[in-house]
Amino acid sequence: MANILKYSRNRCTSVEQVDDHTMRSTCRLQDTLTDAFVEIMVKLPDLEITGISGVIHRAYQEECLNPTDSLQKVIGVRIGPGMLKIIEGLIGEATDCKQLAFMVEECCHGVILSFTKDVLISSPRPTDADKAKEFYAQMVKENMRLYNRCAAFAPGSPIVEGIEPPVQ
Amino acid sequence: MLKFARNKIVSIEKKDQDTFMAHGILDDDIYSLEIDVSIRISDLEILKISGKWNRWTTPACPRAILFLEEAVGLCIKEKGFSQKVHKIIGRKACRHHANLLLECCSSAKEAAMLAKWEDIKAKNKDLSFRAFLRGALKDEPLPDPSDKVSAGEHIEIKDQGPYVAVKKEISGGMMIDLHVHTSPASPCSSAPVDQCIEEAKRVGLDGICLTDHNYVWEPGRVEDLREKHGFLVLRGNEITTDQGDMVVFGLDKNIQGIIKVEELRREVRRAGGFMIVAHPFRGFLTFGVGQLGLTPEKAMERPLFKLVDAVEVLNGKVTEKENDFASKVAGGIGLPATGGSDAHEVSEVGIYATQFSDTIKDENDLVEALKKGGYSPIAFRNQRGEAKR
Repeated sequence: MANILKYSRNRCTSVEQVDDHTMRSTCRLQDTLTDAFVEIMVKLPDLEITGISGVIHRAYQEECLNPTDSLQKVIGVRIGPGMLKIIEGLIGEATDCKQLAFMVEECCHGVILSFTKDVLISSPRPTDADKAKEFYAQMVKENMRLYNRCAAFAPGSPIVEGIEPPVQ
Repeated sequence: MLKFARNKIVSIEKKDQDTFMAHGILDDDIYSLEIDVSIRISDLEILKISGKWNRWTTPACPRAILFLEEAVGLCIKEKGFSQKVHKIIGRKACRHHANLLLECCSSAKEAAMLAKWEDIKAKNKDLSFRAFLRGALKDEPLPDPSDKVSAGEHIEIKDQGPYVAVKKEISGGMMIDLHVHTSPASPCSSAPVDQCIEEAKRVGLDGICLTDHNYVWEPGRVEDLREKHGFLVLRGNEITTDQGDMVVFGLDKNIQGIIKVEELRREVRRAGGFMIVAHPFRGFLTFGVGQLGLTPEKAMERPLFKLVDAVEVLNGKVTEKENDFASKVAGGIGLPATGGSDAHEVSEVGIYATQFSDTIKDENDLVEALKKGGYSPIAFRNQRGEAKR
């Protein structure tokens, strides 16, 4: 059997701004074993999850097939640092279906990345090395949590050259 | 119109009897990357990994590819696998590569399950996938109940003495770091408790609070620490609620998992304790709460602030802007403000602290002083010229 896939997965997360105060983030999963959809509604500016729904058409774990009650546990949670622990804790207590918590997290990451995109839209292209280095170095100086957060901002990277590491 | 979209695709083929090859693609409005992961089917160990960027942001992003190799040898079935990937690949390489790797690995795990069913079905043609799953899932190890957010109840502390127990004479007014994490009580800390206490002494603090995540220090053990070091060591707890982290004093109940903030409020009130909202405006890596349009006035409306006794406005793990924002909110509502380092490393102890006018000898005194008021958060190390070692 040449080159025939044993398994495939597609996951799509999309974020739209419904109105000035509301965002909708959806995560769709289609893979060999699972067909699932989760949608969250998020209130601005707090990024509070105000609504959530999900449908699982196909899953190999029976506990995943009725997600509604478990998903409601995250209503009121705010998207932000520490949210993964909260989401996994709240949904994990209600169900053994790990995919549900992951899909909610993906929806939340989508929202965060949509704001990151807004910040980066005005950033220089990486090929414009000097300007890009200056842009991202300034970002690190304004938020030292970025320092050593990934390879691009780790000691040895040109971006953090000359930047004093946070108190260590 | 979409504001943002991310697509991920994972394809898994069987290279040979015991090897899967997973190819993953992540393509979103900001990034585009691919990885290839070779995984041994029998034990789900990562054998080989390579990656490439198609679109990236900073000129240094390509450095991440060199660190992907650190995933080799990790076992997908192992407890804590995804935390390891976040810590090793997410931090050393790139969080987006880590996200895609986890997607590939969870797909491989399911593909391995399918492969096992196919092998058994070759000998037992009537075995449906559902019937196979019932048997397979029955054999899966139960989740370890101690694998929760805290380190558990019984932590062995390796004595790193000897220590000079110099009893400090305090007369009125004390500076105490209200928020410190120690290892191993807090899994995220690398600061042994004895070293934290010695550091607090070294920098001139009058006391230190052990506020480990969802961990209740036994009174006897903390008393021993006080004796051993001749220093004021107080018990606290940082508890994760659905509305974020709370630093709590005067509550001895061991709370695990995520608790609703209203429920924690009831528990703290019943115990006569004190609840401080920790780093309430800790923002994001690339943008702050200002970009979301959140103003102090709007933030003050959060129901959370009706449930807490104080606000941590100086925290060592957030930016100056985030601390300022918390300070404005606390001031606007009229809630007392506190300071604490949120130290996870020894050298972070005392970055921020709280200055009390009262003398505090134990947790009861601390709770009394917190309820009474008349204290303020301070940038302790800066004041002492100890900004850097």
